[in-house]
Amino acid sequence: MALSDRQSLAPPPAAQVPSLPRTPIRQPRLEAIEGGAAAGAAPAMPFSLKHWLESGLGGAVLGSFSIAMVLLGWYLATRYKLDFYVRFANIPTPMDVWHSILEVNRSTKFAVNIGISVRRVLLGFFGAAIVGTVLGIMVGRYRICRSLAMPAMELFRPIPAIAWVPMAIMLWPSNEVSIVFITFLGAFFPILINTIHGVEEIDEVLFRAAHSLGAKEKDVILHVVIPGALQHIFTGLAVGMGVAWVSLIAAEMISGQFGIGYFTWEAYSLISYPDIALGMITIGVLGLLCSKAIHICSKLAMPWMGVAAGARK
Amino acid sequence: MNAQSNGIQAGHIEVRDLNISFRARGETVQAVKSVSLNVQPGEFVSLIGPSGCGKSTLMNAVAGFTRANSGTLTLDGKRIDGPGSDRGVVFQQYSLFPWMTVRKNVEFGLKMKNVSPAQRETQARTLLGLAGLLAFENHYPSQLSGGMKQRVGIVRALATSPQVLLMDEPFGALDSQTRSVMQEILTNMWQRLRLSVLFITHDIEEAIFLSDRIYVMTARPGRIKAEIKVPLPRPRTPDMMDTPEFTGLIRSIKKLIREESLAAMGGELGDGGYDGLSMEIGPQGVANVL
Repeated sequence: MALSDRQSLAPPPAAQVPSLPRTPIRQPRLEAIEGGAAAGAAPAMPFSLKHWLESGLGGAVLGSFSIAMVLLGWYLATRYKLDFYVRFANIPTPMDVWHSILEVNRSTKFAVNIGISVRRVLLGFFGAAIVGTVLGIMVGRYRICRSLAMPAMELFRPIPAIAWVPMAIMLWPSNEVSIVFITFLGAFFPILINTIHGVEEIDEVLFRAAHSLGAKEKDVILHVVIPGALQHIFTGLAVGMGVAWVSLIAAEMISGQFGIGYFTWEAYSLISYPDIALGMITIGVLGLLCSKAIHICSKLAMPWMGVAAGARK
Repeated sequence: MNAQSNGIQAGHIEVRDLNISFRARGETVQAVKSVSLNVQPGEFVSLIGPSGCGKSTLMNAVAGFTRANSGTLTLDGKRIDGPGSDRGVVFQQYSLFPWMTVRKNVEFGLKMKNVSPAQRETQARTLLGLAGLLAFENHYPSQLSGGMKQRVGIVRALATSPQVLLMDEPFGALDSQTRSVMQEILTNMWQRLRLSVLFITHDIEEAIFLSDRIYVMTARPGRIKAEIKVPLPRPRTPDMMDTPEFTGLIRSIKKLIREESLAAMGGELGDGGYDGLSMEIGPQGVANVL
């Protein structure tokens, strides 16, 4: 059976006493067995579309192409006022929007609107991030917290943040606070649910390992629970940020006096159609910047992720 | 490195009359039944038995993860009532913290003991050097092979200078070549450190190659069926596996285990068709079957 196999694979019999200074000699053999660095010089390869697409240049070219197609389609549709059930007659052209950008930047009003929206999102989002992760960790770690908190949470969770608008206006002393509250609600549940999930996903053996190395509960939370749940927490933050923007824009459109959502809605009321498109594009760009920021934070916070060979095709 | 400060060899595990049962789906399952065993200071003891015989449960109790229903568990006369860094544990699954580099993993136990960062680093690097892993100190576990991860796991468990090392099928997930190399590394390390080891395995050769004594457990509920002394000299080398003594031991333990495996399957296979496989206890084999 395996005996003979092992015999042939076994290293030369060590007649001398194997005191540990032998380790350096053993090392190369271990590498051979365990497959340390397998890489060699990459052979010269003929041009391959697949590899070019995976390179940075290919990606940039494709990305520009993708955006150019949208702009071209937009231009053609509005230039020729296409009307095939979807009506482009009143839709501003890309040039109209460009002029509108130059126009709004003559005063600070537009920038103030953006600033107010960003402040609302950040207040609501960070509030939700703090409350959501702390509560999520407690619920995920302690049964009693789960029993106490979750029934109430499940009661509120199905109510979309936007449905809170009228109630929020009555609840909070000012419009401003109620809009932040709605943004908070939008971000809160995705963050909470993902954090709980993240804590529950942590392998039980890691808790045992920590305990057997002398860790107290505080150390377990700090060194096992938080880093262990971090990946899911960041998923929650990314989703939460998206929902925060959705909730914010809706709240601003309904009850706001300032903000980019209000700007967009007001443009519709004032029949200044290029500003509608400008508002939408601005919301898109702000949302994109926010999700990029979270992505960068997650990379910085989790240097251990993505160190192994990538899995993407 | 593992020098006992008081000069007296420590690391004496004493398990007496241990009973452990679980409640699973409303039923009470007895996993361990009146088990008594001991590990003497500096001794390497293996626990072997068919899968599901409760050997891991027993180890979890010694580690302090599982509570016993009755019986006593002591380490150097002190009652075990929870996990602690006096017992290093190496798990079957890789249990390294994925978010810590190799060195931070090794330092973790020292950090919990409030050892200063500089001293932590020195100690961790020394140990990693001994295990031939210094070049990987800044790697994350996901960048290591299975054998390397488990070496780091062993180094991490040793970093706090425990009196005993508890190992729950530590090489079970490794391929057979890596496994035999790891066995050699472990036996060399143990030889140097002279700490007590309780080693769980279902691999008979592994148990014989590594151990001073082997306990064979019965199928669930787990009891000690036999205690076997391994008379092979130290240091152990792979070529010993060909000696008649070694093969005799394999045969006798295999027979003991086979009886239990059949019992675990409810004896449904019977004995009729297995005549050709049944084995005699070798002449030099069992030293001490209780």
